Amino acid sequence: MMHFTTDQQTLNDLNIFGKPGSESIFSLFDKTQTRGGSACMQEMFRYPMADVDKINHRVAVLQYYTDSGLMFPFKTELFDVIEQYLENTDERSKLQPKVSSVADKLKGLIAEDPHLKNINAGVKAIQELLGALEIFLGNKSSRQVDVEVDPMRKLLLDADFEGLLKEKKGKGLPYETLAAYDVLLRFRKQSSIRTCLHAIYQLDAYLSIAKLAKERGLCYPVALPADQQEVVLEGVYHPHVKGAIANSLKIDPQGNIIFLTGANMAGKSTLMKSLGIAMYLAHMGFPIAAQKMSFSVRDGIYTSINLPDNLNKGISHFYAEVLRIKKISQELGQNKSLFIIIDELFRGTNVKDAYEATVAITAAFAGKRNCMFVVSTHIMEAGETLKAKCSNIKFVYLPTKMEGSRPVYTYRLESGITEDRHGMIIVNNEGIVELLNKNKPQTLNYEFFNR
Amino acid sequence: MSFLTDKQSLEDLNLLGKYKSNSIYSLFNKTKTSGGEKLLEALFQTPLSDADQINDRSSVFNYFHQQHLVFPFQRENVEAAESYLNEGEEGNFILSVIGILQKKVGNMVLQSAEYGVLLKGLQSMVDLLQDAATFFGQLKQSGDHPFQDKLDKTKLIFKDQRIINLLTEKRIEELSVLKIARYNYLLRSALCKEMRLLFEVLYELDMYIAVSDVARSRGMGYAKALPATKCLLKASGLKHPVLEKAIANSISLNQQENVLFLTGANMAGKSTWMKTIGASIYLAHLGMPLAADSFEFSVMEGIYSSINVPDNLNMGYSHFYAEVLRVKEVAQKVSERKNLLVLFDELFKGTNVKDAYDATLAVSEAFAAYTNCLFVISTHIIEVGEALKERCENIQFKYQPTVMDGLVPRYTYQLKDGITNDRQGMMIIENERILEIIDGSK
Repeated sequence: MMHFTTDQQTLNDLNIFGKPGSESIFSLFDKTQTRGGSACMQEMFRYPMADVDKINHRVAVLQYYTDSGLMFPFKTELFDVIEQYLENTDERSKLQPKVSSVADKLKGLIAEDPHLKNINAGVKAIQELLGALEIFLGNKSSRQVDVEVDPMRKLLLDADFEGLLKEKKGKGLPYETLAAYDVLLRFRKQSSIRTCLHAIYQLDAYLSIAKLAKERGLCYPVALPADQQEVVLEGVYHPHVKGAIANSLKIDPQGNIIFLTGANMAGKSTLMKSLGIAMYLAHMGFPIAAQKMSFSVRDGIYTSINLPDNLNKGISHFYAEVLRIKKISQELGQNKSLFIIIDELFRGTNVKDAYEATVAITAAFAGKRNCMFVVSTHIMEAGETLKAKCSNIKFVYLPTKMEGSRPVYTYRLESGITEDRHGMIIVNNEGIVELLNKNKPQTLNYEFFNR
Repeated sequence: MSFLTDKQSLEDLNLLGKYKSNSIYSLFNKTKTSGGEKLLEALFQTPLSDADQINDRSSVFNYFHQQHLVFPFQRENVEAAESYLNEGEEGNFILSVIGILQKKVGNMVLQSAEYGVLLKGLQSMVDLLQDAATFFGQLKQSGDHPFQDKLDKTKLIFKDQRIINLLTEKRIEELSVLKIARYNYLLRSALCKEMRLLFEVLYELDMYIAVSDVARSRGMGYAKALPATKCLLKASGLKHPVLEKAIANSISLNQQENVLFLTGANMAGKSTWMKTIGASIYLAHLGMPLAADSFEFSVMEGIYSSINVPDNLNMGYSHFYAEVLRVKEVAQKVSERKNLLVLFDELFKGTNVKDAYDATLAVSEAFAAYTNCLFVISTHIIEVGEALKERCENIQFKYQPTVMDGLVPRYTYQLKDGITNDRQGMMIIENERILEIIDGSK
């Protein structure tokens, strides 16, 4: 099966992982209780899926947990103890049959054997976990949906654990019994315990996602076959922007290129990032910051939004842009169904080149009917030219309203092309040209040079 | 009146900075004494604003440039001698002798170190005077520069019979206590003023010789300052002072053509040329040598630049806004009718082409009206140049060309007249065969 592909630049653009310690899409979802849960979350983020059934299955599982309102049913401290206990698989570390000597007893009186102490704690922790599992699986209200608890149930039903489950809690085990359990847990059944633990970690991750979905009222996407070539998004917004305005957008074979115009602050980049994040999360089967979403499964996503200059390498900004487009083009040339986002093509060059390049590249994109594109630019003339040239481009813009000399942004998508720009408004608001014109020396007045 | 500039401009031009290996200051800072270094530092901080002062200063550098002198003193020796002098001034001779005797007795009875320290200090002072006597003895050819006066005064010290006597002594530690006391009194009290002068001159010599050595080894020249009323900058064979392999270019700006509008591809060398102009004008106002065959300029009241605005496009709008504020700041200074040199490199590059076009055009046009200032403005948006050509008469257009060697761009760094017609944009896209790649045909 093909994986959903992407690259580092795209992950950076969409801030999927972010810098350690900073806010990112990953950190938004990762409110897991256990370290293992966080690792499962990480795994899901690393490998989005490109298979309709798998995505819809994940969606169903997450939807189930979101509806159930279940809380993580285990004590989180248990897992560190168990992990540490299971770590040691050295045969020599098994407890040896006791030779009851006076010396040993004295040793035991003076200081507890740390190895013995560890084993005791590990066995106890697993005993406690089994108890909790019994309650959790017994209490579960609905059993119709497969919620991926099989490995847990299997472990619980294993006759080998019956004895441990029945041991009185809080009571110390005799040395010989402890040694026997130790062999059972750490050696004989290590792998099925690990399988069960992984299922619990996965549950932890699911519950963390479900909790966020519930808190924020996120919606679950519906995956459609790739050849339907359709993405429908209603009320999509950026999950990191407080009070973000939601927008709706439809991409279909009649308009598989979204041509976005708008002024600098009008919210183009934010909208493009929202779309990218929604598509990325949707391919993980995760809930989306939107009211409704259905999408044809893609083979990958590539974006060019925050392109860094690399002047140290002697690469100019324009050249960096070209290289990025080239990289994306190579992916496109392999006949994959991709989702492409390109923000403000060709900033680092003159107007004419930027215009020509935008038209040429966008027209070439338009030939790729099995891909979807979101392209933004300030060169509205490029939009007009493309309108005449290609039929499958949808033109939308983010408007700017003027309140006096102050620009106000609605962040609501409208259809058409806009000419709004206000680099000049900002320059004018600062009064630079007026300031200069006001004090301008009268035509070559030599008088003040001779002060 | 002091020269106007600000932190960003100084950083753009990389002028100061003792610990930056490639700053202009560290290029020249080959001084041998800490006193010399301090003088050079102070000189760099205070550009002059008077044509005569500037020409006087550069004539001193030029004098040493011609002289091929070697500064013969060692840092340690100069420091030891100066600290000996600073340790104490003797009030009168009798008290001085008593003090020395006390130290001597202390040394003999209590093994105290003070007497030894005194002897060592005196010895290094005598060594310094020896070296200085030789140096000033060689310094025969006098020059027509303001420093000559001080040099002549210093020479007189070595005509003083007491100094001549002192310099016949070989080993200070073998002298009698009484003689030591007499010399001690001589240097620290009787000739106190002369000794101060000597050190002052030594440090200045250090600075002048160090700077002119750099100038000589790099084949630098000196600027000719003209009164501020002219508004002129004319140079030939001008190079960046730090970049030894830089290609030289000429510049000529005056009141009729006070704006230099630079175009060229991104790597073609626009920024380097702007920094060359800025750094050279700054050096010229210090009276320092600069890398040019000839250099004439009218004295300006300051330099403002916007060159190394960090290339952080992620900052997006806020970056654009920061640039606008920077331009506003400069506009305020310009509108106060100061005679300034203003350098704008790739204005508004943080924004889209169209906004950048509008803003660059409007701002350039408004600035150009100030014919008392010189402007150098660069952009990759060649359309701005074409529009300005029609609107303003006082703009000079130059470009840094790109030559294509097959598919590889090469830069000559030789300025040419006009606006570049490099249409690299589409060319690169064609070279990279992007359209074919998208089709999947390649």
